[in-house]
Amino acid sequence: MISADISIVLPEIALAIFAFGALMFGVYTGKDRTAPLLIWLTAGFMVALAFWLGVGATGNREAFGGMFVNDAFARFAKVMILLSAAAVLVMGQDYMQRRDMLRFEFPVLVSLSVIGMMIMVSAGDLMALYMGLELQSLALYVLASIRRDHAKSTEAGLKYFMLGALSSGLLLYGASLTYGFAGTTVFSGIITTLQAGDMSLGLLFGLVFLLTGLAFKVSAVPFHMWTPDVYEGAPTPVTAVFATAPKIAAMALLARLAHDAFGPAVGDWTQILAVLAVLSMFLGSIAAIGQRDIKRLMAYSSIAHMGYALVGLAAGTAGGVQAMLVYMAIYVTMNVGAFAFILAMERDGRPVTDIRSLNMYSRHEPLKALALLVLMFSLAGVPPTVGFFGKLYVLRAAVEADMTWLAIAGVIASVIGAYYYLRIVYFMYFGEEGETLDRRMPPVQWGLLMASAAVMIVGVVNLFGIDPLAAVAAQTLVR
Amino acid sequence: MSLVLIAALPFIGALFPGLMIRAGRNACAMMTGSFTLLALILLLIEAPAVLQGEVIRNQISWIPSLGLHANFFLDGLGLLFAGMILGIGLLVILYARFYLYKTDPMGQFYTYLMLFQGAMVGIVLSDNILLLLIFWELTSLSSFLLIGYWKHLPEGRQGARMALAVTGGGGLALIGGMLLLGGIVGSYDMTVILQSRDVIQASPWYLPALLLILLGCFTKSAQFPFHFWLPHAMAAPTPVSAYLHSATMVKAGLFLMARLWPVLAGTDAWFYIVGITGLITMVLGAVIALFKDDLKALLAFSTVSHLGLITMLLGFGTAEAAVVAVFHIINHATFKAALFMTAGIVDHEAHTRDIKRLGGLRHLMPITFTIATIAALSMAGIPLLNGFLSKEMMLEEAAHTDIWVGIFATLGALFSVAYSFRFIAHTFLGPKRDDYPGHPHDPGFGLWAAPAFLAVLVVIIGILPQTVVGALVAATSGAVIQAELPYYSLQLWHGVTPALFMSIIAVVGGVLVLMSFRRMEGVWNALPRPEAKTIFDWIVEGIAGASRRLTDALHDGAISRYLMIFAATAVITGVVSFMGGTHAAGTHQLLPAGPMAIIGLLLLTVASLGVVLFHRNRLLSLVIISVNGLVISLGFVYLSAPDLALTQLTVEVVTIILLLLALNFLPKETPRESTMGRKWRDGIVSVAAGIAVGGLAYALMARDLAFQSISQFHLDQSYPGGGGTNVVNVILVDFRGYDTFGEIIVLGIAALAIYALTQTLLHGRASRRLMEIGKGIKRDGDRHPLMLVVATRVMMPIAVMVGVYIFLRGHNEPGGGFVAGLVVSIALLMQYMASGFAWAQARQRADYHAIIASGVLIAAATGVGAWFADRPFLTSAFGYFQIPPMDKFELATAMAFDLGVFLAVVGSVMLALASLSRLARRAGETVNDTPMDIDPSKTTEEAR
Repeated sequence: MISADISIVLPEIALAIFAFGALMFGVYTGKDRTAPLLIWLTAGFMVALAFWLGVGATGNREAFGGMFVNDAFARFAKVMILLSAAAVLVMGQDYMQRRDMLRFEFPVLVSLSVIGMMIMVSAGDLMALYMGLELQSLALYVLASIRRDHAKSTEAGLKYFMLGALSSGLLLYGASLTYGFAGTTVFSGIITTLQAGDMSLGLLFGLVFLLTGLAFKVSAVPFHMWTPDVYEGAPTPVTAVFATAPKIAAMALLARLAHDAFGPAVGDWTQILAVLAVLSMFLGSIAAIGQRDIKRLMAYSSIAHMGYALVGLAAGTAGGVQAMLVYMAIYVTMNVGAFAFILAMERDGRPVTDIRSLNMYSRHEPLKALALLVLMFSLAGVPPTVGFFGKLYVLRAAVEADMTWLAIAGVIASVIGAYYYLRIVYFMYFGEEGETLDRRMPPVQWGLLMASAAVMIVGVVNLFGIDPLAAVAAQTLVR
Repeated sequence: MSLVLIAALPFIGALFPGLMIRAGRNACAMMTGSFTLLALILLLIEAPAVLQGEVIRNQISWIPSLGLHANFFLDGLGLLFAGMILGIGLLVILYARFYLYKTDPMGQFYTYLMLFQGAMVGIVLSDNILLLLIFWELTSLSSFLLIGYWKHLPEGRQGARMALAVTGGGGLALIGGMLLLGGIVGSYDMTVILQSRDVIQASPWYLPALLLILLGCFTKSAQFPFHFWLPHAMAAPTPVSAYLHSATMVKAGLFLMARLWPVLAGTDAWFYIVGITGLITMVLGAVIALFKDDLKALLAFSTVSHLGLITMLLGFGTAEAAVVAVFHIINHATFKAALFMTAGIVDHEAHTRDIKRLGGLRHLMPITFTIATIAALSMAGIPLLNGFLSKEMMLEEAAHTDIWVGIFATLGALFSVAYSFRFIAHTFLGPKRDDYPGHPHDPGFGLWAAPAFLAVLVVIIGILPQTVVGALVAATSGAVIQAELPYYSLQLWHGVTPALFMSIIAVVGGVLVLMSFRRMEGVWNALPRPEAKTIFDWIVEGIAGASRRLTDALHDGAISRYLMIFAATAVITGVVSFMGGTHAAGTHQLLPAGPMAIIGLLLLTVASLGVVLFHRNRLLSLVIISVNGLVISLGFVYLSAPDLALTQLTVEVVTIILLLLALNFLPKETPRESTMGRKWRDGIVSVAAGIAVGGLAYALMARDLAFQSISQFHLDQSYPGGGGTNVVNVILVDFRGYDTFGEIIVLGIAALAIYALTQTLLHGRASRRLMEIGKGIKRDGDRHPLMLVVATRVMMPIAVMVGVYIFLRGHNEPGGGFVAGLVVSIALLMQYMASGFAWAQARQRADYHAIIASGVLIAAATGVGAWFADRPFLTSAFGYFQIPPMDKFELATAMAFDLGVFLAVVGSVMLALASLSRLARRAGETVNDTPMDIDPSKTTEEAR
C-alpha cells in the first residue's frame, strides 16, 4: 500500500531529496560559490523530471487514499511548472552573479516551492492543498526578500508575507467550514455531499473563502495588491519566478478545486470567478497604462492575464479548462521571454527598468527589438501571434458557455491593455534619441528571448500540439 | 490550391528582398515584383470562372478545435480586391524602385511591403472569419512597420503611433465582434455566416456585434471620428501612402463592410450608424482637404472623404447603392493611387510638398502635370473620366434617400471639386517660380510609368465603363448583394437627371470656392478647430494620468490600505454569499450565561478596546494584552478545560516576559501615523470584519455539522488506547503524537531562529542603532532588589518540584510535558530576572542547543522504539509496575515522549531568553556578577 503510494509521488520525493541534497552540498562545500553549479543542476533535474512526467506515467492514479492525484491534468500542469521554473532559474543566474546577490539558497528555495506547486496541482484533499500551498508560499516569501540588505526587497517580502498569511487564514477558514459541513476533506467526498443535497450555507462560505485564498495566489483583483510591489521590489530573477510557475500552480489548483471538489456547485463559483476575471482584466489593463517601470508594468500585465485565464475557468466547462491550460502555457512562454529581456536591461552595467530607456532600441539592436516586438504583440493578443490564440481560446469558451458578456468585457479590456504593450513597441521603434541600453546580453537570456519570440510566431502552425494534450487534461478534470 | 498559393506567394516573396538586395536594387525589385506578378497571373487564370459567377474554394484544416480553418474562397468581391491589391502592388513595387533614395534600405522596404501585400490578399480571400482576423491584424502590424520606415522623421513616429493605437485597438474590437458573430451563427465560416442573415439580425447580440465590427471597420478605413490618424500616417514614403492609404489598407474596412453587407445591412441601426458616419466623413474630409497645404495631407483628407462616400453608399443598405459603392471603389483606387504617385514625384524632384512653395510646375514637369491633371479631374468628377461616373451615380442614390442627404452629398462633391482643382492649380499652374528647394523636372520613365498606366485606366474606364469593368462590377456587386442584381447602367450619359444638376452645382460651386480661396483660408485659419494630434495626445495623456491616479490611490504602497481592501472584500463577499444562500436558524441550545461569564466577557472587551486605544504606548498595551490572556485562561477553566487553561496561563506568562525583555530594545512609543479619517475608516472596516467573524462563529456553533463531535471517541478511547485518563494529554502524546513531534521541532527551530536573528543584530549597522536606543533612558537604580532575589531563590526548588509533579501526573490529570516545561522555564526565568543574566548563566551548566536537541531526540527515540515491537512509529505502550513500598503505578512510553517535549520547551524558552540577554549586554547593560551583597555560595572574600 504505502510503497504503491510512494511510487505515485516519486517525482515529488525525488525533487525533495534533491533539494535537501543541494542544500547540504551548498552548506558544507563552497556556499555561494556553488550557486551557479546548483542552479544548472537544479534546472537540469527539473527538465528531467518534466520529461519523466511527460512521457512516463499515464492514466489516473491516486495515492494516500485520494489525497494525492496523478492524472493528465496534474501532469500537464507539472510539466509546465517544471519547465518554466527551470527556464527562469538559469535565466537569472548571470544577473544575480554579477550583482553579488546569488545565494546558493536560490535554487534550493525555487525547488522547494516547485515541490509545493507540484503537490498543489495534484491535491485531492484540502489537507494536501494547504500543505502544497504553504510549502510553495513559504519558499516564495523568502525568495521575495532574498536581498535582505535591500530595503525594497525586504519590504516586498514582508508585504507578501503579511497578505499571504491573511489569505492563508481565509483559505483555512474556508477549508474548515467545508470540512465541517461536508464531513470530509477529500475532494471526492465533498463532491458526493454536494451531489446528494443542495449547497448548505456553510459549504457556500467554505467555497467563497477557499476561492478568496486562492484568488490571492493568482493575484486576481481585489486580492492583487501585493503584486506590483513585490514585482518591483524583488530582484528581477525572483520576479521572473513569481510571474511564471506559481501562477500556473495556483490557477491549476483553482481549476481542480472548482471542478473536482465543487463541481456540482458550478453555478456558484462561476459567478465568483467571472467577477474576479472582469475586475482583474480591467484593473490590470487600466492600471498598467500609467506605469513607467517595466517590472510594475509586467505585474499589472500578469494581473490582466490572470483575468483572461479566469475567464476560461469561469466558463465552467471542459472547454474552459482546456482554454485556461492553453492560455497559461502561452502566458508562461511569453513571460519567460519578456523577463529574459528585462533581466538584460542595463545601462553601464546597472539594471534599469524604466521603459523610456528603450527609446530607439530598434536602431541599435534590431534583432532583439524585433523579438521583443513579437512578444509584446503576443502579450497584447494581436494576431497572428500565439498570444491571440490564447485569448481566442478563453473568449470562445466563454461564448460557448453562454457568457457572452464576459467575452465582450474581455475584448474591451484587451483593447485597453493593447495600449501599454504597443507603447513599449512605440518607444523601441519610434522613440526619441536618448541614452541606450548596453548591448551585453548573456547567451542564456538571449537564447530564451529568441526562442520564446520564435515560439510566438512558429506556434501559430499548430500551437506545438499542446491543444489536444490540454483537452485530455481538461477531460480528466471535468467529468 | 491556387488560392492558397495566391495568398502565400507574397509571404514567400517577403523572404527574398533581404537576400536579393546584395545582387543590386534592380534584381531585388524584379524578384519582389515577380512574386506579385505570379500571384496576379494565378488570380487572372481564375478570373473568368469567377466572372461567370462561380465561387472557388480551397480548404485546409488548421486548428479545428478552435474553429479555425485555413479556408479561402474567391468570388467577385474577392477578385476585385485581390486584383487591386496585386495590380497596384506591382505598380508600387516598380514605382518604389525608382522612388527610394540610395541611402534607404530597399530590401527591408520590400520585405515589409510584401508582408503587407500578403496580409491584404489574405483578408480578401479568407473564408473563415478567424483567419480573416489574423490577416487583418497582420496588416496593422506590417503597415506600422511601413509607416515608420523613415525613422528619422518625427512626424513618422507620431503617425505610426496613432495609426497603431487606432487601428490596433479597432482590430481588437473587431475580434470581439467576429467572435460574437461566430457565436450567433455557430460557425466561423464566412460562407455559412453569409447564409444566416435572419438568425443574425434576430439575435439580441446583433447590435453589440455590429458595433464592434463597425468599430474595427471605421478605424481601419479612417471614418469619422477616427479619421485623424490617416493624414498623420502620411509621413511614410510615398509608395507606402499610395499603396496603403489609397488602394488597399484603408479599403480593408470597406471590404469587410461590403463582405458582411448581406447579413448586417438593412436594419435601422446599420443605416443610421454607417450612413451618417459616411456622410459626415465625406463632407468633413472634403472641407479639411481643401485647406491643407501639404500635397499628401490634401490627398489624405480627400481619401478620407472618398472613403466616407463609399461607406455612406454601403450604409444606405440598398442594392443599387451597393453597386455604386463597388464601382467607386474601383475608380477611387485608380485615380487616388495615381495622384499619390504624382505627389511623390513632385516631392522627389522639388524637395517639397508644400503647395505654398509650389506652382508653375506645368512648364518644368509636363508629363507629371498631365498625369496629375487627369487623375485630379477624375477625382473632381469631371465627365469622360471614371470619377464622374461613380460620383454621378452616388448623387443619384443620395438624392433618392433623403433631401438632406442629397444636399450634404452635393456639398461634399462641391468641396471635392474645389480641392481637386486646387491640387492642379496651385501646384502646376501659375507662373514658374525661382525658389523651389530642388530642381524640378520630369523624372525617368520608371517613376512615371506606374501613375501613367493608372491614368490611362482612368480615361478608358471613364469612356467605356461597361466594356472595361462591366463584368467585374457585376460579379462584385453580385457577391456583395448575394441576390439578384438591381437594374443599373454604367454609362456616360444618363440623361437629364437630378444628379446632373447636383453635379453641375458642385463643379460650379467648387470653382467659385477655389476662386475665393484666399479669403476662405483666412476665415478657416481664424476658426478655432480641433487639432487631431493635440486631441489624441491630450486624450492619451489624460488617460495615462487618470490611470496613474487610480493606481496611486489603490496601490500607494501602504500595507494598511491593502489589508483594508482585503478585509473589506472578504466581508462583502461573505455578506453576499450569506444573502444568496439558503439558511435556517441554528438548532443548538445555548448555554446560560452566568454573572462570572459576563464579567469575563466584559473584561475581555474592555481589554481589547484598551489595546486599540493605548496601542501607541507599548508597555501599557502589553500589560493590557496580558489581561486578555488571563481572561481567556479563566474562560478555559470556566468551560472545563483545565489543561488548556494551564497551558494558556503558562504560555501567557512566558511570552509576556519575553516580550517585555524585547521591548527594551524598541522605542517606547509607536509613531503616530494615522489621521482621524483613516482611523474611522479602519475602525469601520475592522468592526465589520469582527462582527462578521463573530457572527460566523456563532452561526457555526449553533448548528449541527456534517458529523458527530469527535470528543466522545477520544473519551472512549483514551484509557483503553493510550493508557491515560487525561484525554488532552493522551491526544498530545499518543493519538496525535506525530503532530506534537513536529511541533517541538518547530519550537526548537523557532528558538534557533531567534538566536540567529539576534546574532546578526550584534554586528554592523543594526548593532550601532541598538546602542543608540539605550542611551538617555533613565534606569531604575535597584536592578536586583533583595526581596525578589531571595524570594526567587527560595521558590526555585519549589517551582521545579511543581514542574516535576505536573509532568508526572500529566497522563491522567491535567498537566503534562508541555506545561511542566513552561513551569520550569518560568522558574528559571525568574532567576534571570531577579539575579541578572550573568549570575544565572554562570550557574547554568547545560547548553540550550543541546537541551533542545536532546528533547527532540528522546521523542524520536520513543517513536522509533515502537518499530522494535513491530508497531508503527510513535505507537505507545504502557504497563503497570509495582516497586514496594510504593503503590502500583503506571509507566507508559508516552512519558518518555513527554520528557522530550519537556526538554524541547525548556530549551527553546531559555534559548530565546539567552538571545535577548546577549542583546541587552551588547546594548550596554552592565553585568553584575554579584546581584546580592552576599553570595551564599561563595566565601565573603571571593565575593568581594
